[in-house]
Amino acid sequence: MITLSGVTKAFNGRRTVIALDRVDLSIGRGEMVSVVGASGSGKSTLLNLIGALDRPTSGWVEIDGRRLDGLRDDELTRVRRDTIGFIFQFFNLLPTLSCLENVALPLHLRGWARKKAADRARELLGLVRLGARADHLPDELSGGERQRVAIARALAIYPPILLADEPTGNLDSSTGDEILALVGDLHQRLQATVVIVTHDRHVAEICPRTITLRDGRIVGDERR
Amino acid sequence: MMLLRLITWPYVRRHRLRTLLTTAGIVLGVAVFVGMRTANESVLLAFRQTIDRIAGKAELQVAAGEGGLPEDVLERVQAMPEVRAAVPVIEAAVGTNLASEGNVLVLAVDMTGDRSLRDYDLESGDEAVIDDPLVFLAQPDSLIVTREFAARNGLAIGSTVPMRTMEGEKRFTVRGIMKSGGLTQAFGGNLAVMDVYAAQMVFGRGRTFDRVDLALSEGVGLERGRLAIGARLGPGYQVEPPASRGRQIDSVLRVYSFTADMNSAFALFIGMFIIYNAFSIAVTERRREIGILRALGASRARIRALFLAESGIAGLAGSLAGLALGVLLSKGLALYISGLIAGVYGIAERTTEIATEPWLMAAGLLMGVATSLAAGWIPARNAARVDPIQALQKGRYQTLSAGENRVRRAAALALGGASLALLLFAKGWTVLFYAGYICAALALLLVSPTVSLWLTKALRPPLRRLRPVEGALAADSLIQAPRRTSATVTALMLSLSLVIAMGGVARAVYDSIMGWTRTTLNPDLFVTATQNLTERTFRFPESLGDQLEEVEGVEEIQRVRTHRIVYEGSPIMLVAVEAKSMGDRVRRPPVEGPGDMYERAARGEGVILSDNFARLRGLHAGGSIELDTPSGPRRVAVLGLVVDWTDQTGVVLIDRASYVRWWRDDTVNVFRVYVKNGARPQEVRQRIVERFAGAHRLFVLTNREVAAWIAGLTDQWMSLAYAQIAIAVFVAILGIVNTLTVSIIDRRRELGVLQAVGGTRGQVRRTVWMEALAIGTVGLALGLGVGAVTLNYVLEMSQRDVTGLALPYTFPWGTAALLVPLILASAFVAALWPAESAVRGSLVEALEYE
Repeated sequence: MITLSGVTKAFNGRRTVIALDRVDLSIGRGEMVSVVGASGSGKSTLLNLIGALDRPTSGWVEIDGRRLDGLRDDELTRVRRDTIGFIFQFFNLLPTLSCLENVALPLHLRGWARKKAADRARELLGLVRLGARADHLPDELSGGERQRVAIARALAIYPPILLADEPTGNLDSSTGDEILALVGDLHQRLQATVVIVTHDRHVAEICPRTITLRDGRIVGDERR
Repeated sequence: MMLLRLITWPYVRRHRLRTLLTTAGIVLGVAVFVGMRTANESVLLAFRQTIDRIAGKAELQVAAGEGGLPEDVLERVQAMPEVRAAVPVIEAAVGTNLASEGNVLVLAVDMTGDRSLRDYDLESGDEAVIDDPLVFLAQPDSLIVTREFAARNGLAIGSTVPMRTMEGEKRFTVRGIMKSGGLTQAFGGNLAVMDVYAAQMVFGRGRTFDRVDLALSEGVGLERGRLAIGARLGPGYQVEPPASRGRQIDSVLRVYSFTADMNSAFALFIGMFIIYNAFSIAVTERRREIGILRALGASRARIRALFLAESGIAGLAGSLAGLALGVLLSKGLALYISGLIAGVYGIAERTTEIATEPWLMAAGLLMGVATSLAAGWIPARNAARVDPIQALQKGRYQTLSAGENRVRRAAALALGGASLALLLFAKGWTVLFYAGYICAALALLLVSPTVSLWLTKALRPPLRRLRPVEGALAADSLIQAPRRTSATVTALMLSLSLVIAMGGVARAVYDSIMGWTRTTLNPDLFVTATQNLTERTFRFPESLGDQLEEVEGVEEIQRVRTHRIVYEGSPIMLVAVEAKSMGDRVRRPPVEGPGDMYERAARGEGVILSDNFARLRGLHAGGSIELDTPSGPRRVAVLGLVVDWTDQTGVVLIDRASYVRWWRDDTVNVFRVYVKNGARPQEVRQRIVERFAGAHRLFVLTNREVAAWIAGLTDQWMSLAYAQIAIAVFVAILGIVNTLTVSIIDRRRELGVLQAVGGTRGQVRRTVWMEALAIGTVGLALGLGVGAVTLNYVLEMSQRDVTGLALPYTFPWGTAALLVPLILASAFVAALWPAESAVRGSLVEALEYE
């Protein structure tokens, strides 16, 4: 489902920083994988490359059988739109849109009819147990609720790949557990490939497979 | 200073484009002010310098308006004990056929006495001419030119210069060339001297001079001499130092200068909003920075001083650039204005140097800096009030507090009510009328943020319907940042209201002028001595009228003599017409007065006034005015008021018979020719030209040509105002670019999320475009509304204190219809670059952006 071959990502500033160094990785369809490592180990960079948010300096990334290195920006956007759902640490909900509108956003971007998009968004909000909060603005929700809205938005198109960047990093431990249980449940029910970036060992251990990064290299790949 | 270096400078470097856009408002505002003022001053300076240089040692000048002085006046002046020397003068700006020279100012003098007042320092010439003026007199085609003029045209002694005179084109022989200095600099060096008696013939002056220049006897003070000579000559004559002619031109140009100043002030005012907006945005963006500074111990006063210093520096830099740009612009503007005043007022001038007055430069600099400081004051105060704890937290703090909005709305309501009450009940009191205007302007400014918020909220549903994601995000972005939105919308509103007001005035002026042209300027042909109707350099003898009446196809001739006189210290236009015939022909109802007023004027019972002249002086039909004429003061009845656009300074229409008697002048500027039924005007025109060509300098214009010339002149008059307004609109559009640029930065993360969840570049672009279009739409709605109110006040102000013209209120729908696509297109263009910058940046950075 996801393949990285010899992927290097360098950031050029006053001095060049190698965030990922010749990484080879393969993640199968329906796997649930956690990526762990210290700050600056390259976890988020890896997620950004898998999520087609960024391009590698060298090497290539393949998503669902399609290599990303030759694609133009709008083609990358389409890959994201049709294949990937994102869950961010800081939720990244649009503050001016209601929960329903936030969840329906990717559907509108795909050109869905208003009613159809709203119906799907309502269904997804029900899935994350926020049906009653559909018309609320993000500011009116708790942190856990916001993350659930973000998860609903990530699932809007039932993407085959779900990427989560520190999904519990901004939540207290009980809310975090609740979110992880939800992600695990959705993974089971939707059979999506899930990649969770975290520095929390407890979160990592929930996943059947854990990849450990250090200084931009994979130093561990543990399956349970 | 340290904070400026550590905090401000890096911010400016990071936001170079925005800094540039911010200062652009001040640059343009100052440039318009300095450019227009410098151009005006340059034109006036050139006029004054020409007067000074030509005046030579003359201490006083005697004139009777533009009517000319009979020859016997010269003898009377010469005989006065207060006068040491008195000489006659005729001045005429005459066209030459020399390539690229245009007009040359002919100074016609009596060489026998004139050298006591003016120094003709000849560098070469016929010795006889230099030593014996009688030789000069004996050869009426003699001409003395300046060295510069001679050099430019390759002229030497004996060369001939063609000039268009009343007797057709005549060739004059150069018999002297003056050395550079003093007199030769007059009229940009395009000066020629000839004999005054020859000039009487070739310029159609009959037995009159334009004025008498004089020097006072030893021991006679200027004021004493002026009063004594004035008393001996009696009313109807102006005895003034040469410099007072400069003051008269100031007075003639008053309307023009007022319009220019108003527009400059508007441009600067709009610039102020741009700066206010930019600094408000900067304060919002830098809240965290301010919070850190406050947490580290910076006092409120220090933060306020930091932001004020920034606005002061921006104002200084913008003003300096504005001064440079203004001076650059002024050269072209001066040429344009010269042409304009020659067309509108018939005053020929040649502006060759730009008068960069130190006071004007200082005023421009001061205005720019003061405007910038005033605009920066509220943002600086807001910066000083930032709470460090809140500022260090994440989030937005743009929303206007409910309390702030309530206070604004209450104040706007009170001011609006006051302005309405003043408009309805105290319109007659000038001070209260202006107080009402100020109240209305303040109310509109105060209420504009609230209204723009309402309008934006109202726009959200249709935008959302149009594009569910992009539309909603665009509207939300504006709703969430009311300060940013309202300042831009207000700047746009102000500039558009100016366009509407000017458009309304233009429409009303056009309609009024065209109505007057149709009903009053209704002869089939106009026979003039110059190419247009405003120039009064040349005049026809009365007898030409009799000859014109003999031309086949001519039914009736009306003789018109126009000349400027002085009424209560101000120049106005006297128009002498054959009143009975005019009354029979003119199909325009009077503004005031009986239907038979033309007949009564023809019987010498009084005069008819233009309504603007009457209104500015509080005169009405049934009243009377006193005219100073060369034959003594005349108190005449005001028979009625009519609309008359002959001259902006105001018109007194008098019957020709009274004019000839009182002013002792029977010359004619224009013959109005009506052709017989069935005769073709073009054929009659051809007959006139054929009969008089060669013998007389004359131009025959058809009614259509005159109407087109007047329309062209009106366009020319308006176009300068429109150019200034275009700058004001441009400044407002800069505001949109600025706002959108900042909006993009504010929403970088939001737009990043949009792309992360599948938004294409096209969709992000559309979001930004729709935001710009929403700003444009709200600005348009408010601008058109406020413009409708402003137009009412501008018309009223113009009527009361500027022109006196009662122009009907007509909302300029055409202009408004033009503005809609123009502003929306401009807003769209303004959004192109910000939209591109929104989609070009790194997505990862955008998602991490705080």
